[in-house]
Amino acid sequence: MRLVAENLSRSFGRRAFGPVSFSVETGRVLGVAGENGSGKTTLLKTLAGLIRPSGGRARIFFEGEDAGDGCEPRDVPWHIGWVAPDLALYGELTAEENLTFFERVRGLVPTPGRARALLESVGLPPDSHSKKPLSSLSTGQRQRVKLAFATLHEPDLLFLDEPGANLDEAGRSIVQRVVAEQRLRGIAVIASNDPRDLALADERVTLS
Amino acid sequence: MSAPRKAAGVLPAAIAVFRRELLAEWRTRVAVNSLFLFAFAVLVLVAYAVGPTRLSPEDRPTVNAVLLWIVLFFSAMTGLSRTFVHEEDAGTAAALRLSAPPSGVLLGKLLANMALLGAVTAFIVPLFVVLMGFEIRDPPLFVLLLLLGTFGLASASTFTAALVSKASAKGALFAVLAIPLLLPPLVGAVLATRVAATEADFSAGIDFARLLVAYDGVVTTAAFMLFDAVWRE
Repeated sequence: MRLVAENLSRSFGRRAFGPVSFSVETGRVLGVAGENGSGKTTLLKTLAGLIRPSGGRARIFFEGEDAGDGCEPRDVPWHIGWVAPDLALYGELTAEENLTFFERVRGLVPTPGRARALLESVGLPPDSHSKKPLSSLSTGQRQRVKLAFATLHEPDLLFLDEPGANLDEAGRSIVQRVVAEQRLRGIAVIASNDPRDLALADERVTLS
Repeated sequence: MSAPRKAAGVLPAAIAVFRRELLAEWRTRVAVNSLFLFAFAVLVLVAYAVGPTRLSPEDRPTVNAVLLWIVLFFSAMTGLSRTFVHEEDAGTAAALRLSAPPSGVLLGKLLANMALLGAVTAFIVPLFVVLMGFEIRDPPLFVLLLLLGTFGLASASTFTAALVSKASAKGALFAVLAIPLLLPPLVGAVLATRVAATEADFSAGIDFARLLVAYDGVVTTAAFMLFDAVWRE
């Protein structure tokens, strides 16, 4: 699999980012760096298909398919995982109910205990969350739930916007593990200002 | 685990969205409270101000039909816009966009809004009939009209809520878009309710029922055809 951006840009009246071009292969991690307001989050949203580019294009080329024109990320959302500061899950549901809900809407066959196991893998044992609505968890705990949400369906493409935000050292090691697992599965793209997040990347795009 | 390498089915996604909406509503009771409180307050106000005795027998069917549908219409306007607006305001829309097929989202939310409005209708109509002394000569026609009318209200309100969810002045825009969209079936529903109150002949109101079926069909079909663009843009 390959993620390709060709002269990709986005503007909201004024330029948000770009044009940028790059290509990332399976097993690689791309870091997106840049100052505040340089368009890192907008670039990730555009790559994930959450917003349309103003210019250029982003394409995903899958193995074994006709490499001709690839496909647009917005047409294959089931291949995409997403974590971002402005992403929220349902505050009135528990963490486990959230993951079970997203399992169902994603068309995954619900397996008893899978959501709970995934939450444990991001450092949330059942006694820390099982009876509490998500809104009552701490910001760092919610960030861990978001990591579990993003990897629930084992995506080919994982977009991590400020993944280490609000996490303690243990949480950061979970981010490292998530990125390492993603290398085996596909591509990860990390947007951050934090050198510790960007150190996980193999190659880097810097927005200005 | 084997991850799906295709889009999730519309129906399983719709059922999941429907269940989540009802569960969230059960826990927060935001829409239920606004729907029921509004409907009940207006009903009590109307019953005190107008009541069954202050209307002449010949005016009673028309005025009661109008008042009943005003209560249901404004209840829908009050509570049903929240379904998509809250997704955008709370920041959950992106997770849903990346996870569920658009038609499944719309169907699930439409079913949840129908359930809410259906519950309000089931609560308010018997009270209205008793408090206002609203005599119905053709109960089967009346029930059919309520079903078709509330379906139309829920369908149009749900789609309009999706349209305005990303706008800045959501409340005003919702009313501006919903009122012209909902007026035609409301006029039909009011006229048909008057027929159900005055005629014991089911066939007398069947044309209105057909009109409502046509409206519901057109609005719901248009909503499903357009929703993909509305939801993903």
